[in-house]
Amino acid sequence: MEKILITLNINGQYCEVMVYPNDTLLEVLRDELDLTGSKESCGEGACGSCTVHMDGKPVRSCLTLALEAQGVKITTVEGLANGDDLSDLQQSFIDHGAVQCGFCTPGMLMSADALLKDNPRPDDKTIRKALAGNICRCTGYTKIVEAVAHTGNPKDHCPDCNTRSNEKE
Amino acid sequence: MRLPRFKYSGPETLEQALDLLNTHKDDAKILAGGTDLLVRMKKGLLKPKVLISLKALNELSYIKKQDGYIKIGARTPLADIIASDLIQKEARALFQACEKIGAITIQHFRGTIGGNILQDNRCHHYNQSDFHRSGRQACHKDGGKICYAREEADRCNSTCQSDGATALMALDASLILAKKGAKRTVDLADFYTTDGIIPHAMESHELLREIIIPLNGAQSSYQRLAYRSAIDYPIVCAGVLLKHSSKNEIEEARIVVGAMSRSPLFLAQVSSSLKGKKLNDTIAFKKAADASMDSSAAFAVHNVGATLEYRCAMVSQMVFQALEQAAKCIKG
Repeated sequence: MEKILITLNINGQYCEVMVYPNDTLLEVLRDELDLTGSKESCGEGACGSCTVHMDGKPVRSCLTLALEAQGVKITTVEGLANGDDLSDLQQSFIDHGAVQCGFCTPGMLMSADALLKDNPRPDDKTIRKALAGNICRCTGYTKIVEAVAHTGNPKDHCPDCNTRSNEKE
Repeated sequence: MRLPRFKYSGPETLEQALDLLNTHKDDAKILAGGTDLLVRMKKGLLKPKVLISLKALNELSYIKKQDGYIKIGARTPLADIIASDLIQKEARALFQACEKIGAITIQHFRGTIGGNILQDNRCHHYNQSDFHRSGRQACHKDGGKICYAREEADRCNSTCQSDGATALMALDASLILAKKGAKRTVDLADFYTTDGIIPHAMESHELLREIIIPLNGAQSSYQRLAYRSAIDYPIVCAGVLLKHSSKNEIEEARIVVGAMSRSPLFLAQVSSSLKGKKLNDTIAFKKAADASMDSSAAFAVHNVGATLEYRCAMVSQMVFQALEQAAKCIKG
């Protein structure tokens, strides 16, 4: 079996990589390109920790062949922040204690980010539906839902909370 | 988990895909979204030598209304079906089913309606890792002669847990299967073989091309029960279609129960018992729901999670809720 040269557009950069046909996008991201933000947990599409964006929509990178990820814009969790400047969503996760062990966080961020681009002020039900495909074993989800709701609507959501994302304004 | 090795081919046209299928036959598998296929490959349940990807075949992705039918291309992503006004209005059961499949992250790009219909039957004893299965004798589906789900069973008792299949069978859909130089239409009810090992009546060089749903002014509904609201297979589901006459009487009913047997169960006798009943006849609905439970309980085995008693009891609930909802849609 021979390796094939493919070009991937990841976080705005074109990368040329040699891959085997049975390499998944997740394996290429982590092992070849050192983008270890996306995590492998179940490896069968049930947990959501490998979620990345393809053309702005969240997809499972563990069930996507690297060969099939050509020709679309891929964004990984590394592409959310601008250098050291975290995105509002990332800051809100920190401020609300939505990160505990942190393993599910990249997937949660990617699913939530796609939701907020579609619907900047989602209600709790919409947030829970958008994150239904992601499993978190630590937080019990409440903090994560709060963090997402806060990003979309900081003033109304928790006007008194003394978080850095509010101080920014 | 690593995928086993295979050769990848990405045909540009349907003809090329059918040619490739004809050449490789049993050695090849079709890759549409991969959410079922790649998982089975990772678990070592399947080791195809060639994967034929439908990625470039945009001609297989469409939803259209034509000659009194809704026609859906087999590679249409679930997200497109959920977003379609036509499906929401005219084939509500399919809309409700697709909404429940996987999660948003699976419905975009990856999950396709054809893949959902063609997903393999499942069983808690079979859908396990190589390592788990290596510790005991192979079951019927794995090439052996034992069934772990039902003692002394002489055949495989795996369960068809497809949401799409149950909804589409209620909608009386048919499929167009293509092979090199020919195509045929098959009723969805005949497509399922009731054999746990080879659940679909489809030859190895055939490709699912289109799904056809007749438009007849009927209302439909789909209800399912699962542990988790996303990324979970149903443990019981029911699809119902009700067609009414001008006198608000039921002219035709179709009740289909899914996730209880080796294929979705179309309950013809129970369905016909509703003929001539009023749309607000709750007692008749309750009776039909209980009869559905009795008819389908005989087929079920304890192999998809919840206890058998609970699943059987819930059949009646799912059918009743689906009937009520379809009747409500007719009444507006």
